[in-house]
Amino acid sequence: MKIVLDRPRCEGHGLCEEAAPQLMHLDDDGELVIDREEVGDTEAPLANAAVRVCPVAALRIA
Amino acid sequence: MPLSDPPVSDLDLFDDKVLIDPYPSYSALRDLGSVVHLPANDAYALTRYDAIRSALGDWESFSSAGAIGFNPAVNEALSGTSLSSDPPVHTRLRATLTANLSPRALRGLKDGIEAKADALVTELVDKGSFEAIDALARAFPLEVVADLIGFTGHVRDNMLRWGQAAMQVIGPMNQRTAENFPIAGELYAWCSSVTADDLAPGSVGRGIFEAEDRGEIPPGTAGHIIHQYLGAGVDTTIASIGNIVALFAEHPDQLAQVREDPSLVPAAFNEVLRYWAPLHVWGRRATRDVEVDGALIPEGARVAILFGAGNRDPRHYENPDAFLVERNPTDHLSFGYGPHGCAGQGLARLEAHAVVKALSRRVERLVVGAGVRVPSNITRSFEELPVLEVVPA
Repeated sequence: MKIVLDRPRCEGHGLCEEAAPQLMHLDDDGELVIDREEVGDTEAPLANAAVRVCPVAALRIA
Repeated sequence: MPLSDPPVSDLDLFDDKVLIDPYPSYSALRDLGSVVHLPANDAYALTRYDAIRSALGDWESFSSAGAIGFNPAVNEALSGTSLSSDPPVHTRLRATLTANLSPRALRGLKDGIEAKADALVTELVDKGSFEAIDALARAFPLEVVADLIGFTGHVRDNMLRWGQAAMQVIGPMNQRTAENFPIAGELYAWCSSVTADDLAPGSVGRGIFEAEDRGEIPPGTAGHIIHQYLGAGVDTTIASIGNIVALFAEHPDQLAQVREDPSLVPAAFNEVLRYWAPLHVWGRRATRDVEVDGALIPEGARVAILFGAGNRDPRHYENPDAFLVERNPTDHLSFGYGPHGCAGQGLARLEAHAVVKALSRRVERLVVGAGVRVPSNITRSFEELPVLEVVPA
């Protein structure tokens, strides 16, 4: 599975980073960086948690 | 399976008693169904968590265009704002609104806001007793927002009544709405004529006008953005901060948990927002016949989103009527969700986290008298909350 970011929609609230710091982080400019786009079964719950917590629905799983 | 008409209730969402304490009504509506037809409000209410969250994410079926308010005059007045539009128009307006309001734009403010909150809370703790709504819940966000946007003079003095009125008029055309339209009109008129020179140099408000001069945002939109900052960002934050004080006073064990583990500050604010939603109801319009859990919302119908009902849905939250900071309900509905999710939530978190942090650092226990609530169409908050005694940390 793959984490897909809708970049224009992301406002940098950072809740996804709190939910899944292993998979993504905000850089020094507050822009979201997906460190691991392709995730396996082990990280799937983390990826789903990050998607779920985004307050503006900027993340999805493909 | 054929679609059925939703259950009907004779409840009036804007009845004084419901506005003071909507939670028993929310529970009754949830038991009836995910969608309940309310003829008194000419609306289909969404009551359960999953139905609300899905609708908030589905702007194609549940439109905001001319539909967020419960009377035609307010929907007309809000036309052309991001609040009241759908993508693709919404996408551009939203980007303009959040350019100066997103967490990345606000990062530099955190330390200053925390210092302000700590100074104010320390002063109140030293006094030993105070009226929490005026002295903290109103004073703090009014100061933060005024300094941020660069309001000075008479505008600063009017922020509270303008902000309250901007929310009241979103209700149906009842007496509260009628009384508040002239006040909301003052805000609208001021925002239509405000210029960069009216705002403090170096402020975010001044920056919005500079962005307009540089052509980064369309001509004439700076005033609209200032209007939304004031209309949406004042009354709601005041409600949340008042609720923080009230809930910590009522649940000293929960305050003690945050005191022991300061990493619970964001969790505590999430739980405050879940437990008492600052906004009672918000509108949408069904763009087509929409099926929700087997019930039909007809095309063109007004939809009433009950954030607080979803936040207490036992299908989603275990023991939903308990206030438990460790629950950390990051997916609460009080900021909405999706494309229209609260544009100011980054600033709201900065302010509220600063208050929770300061209270948990300075206060062991608060003894409060009876809080006073006044029925209000959209915002649910305390009007007065006397803190009779502070046990300092």
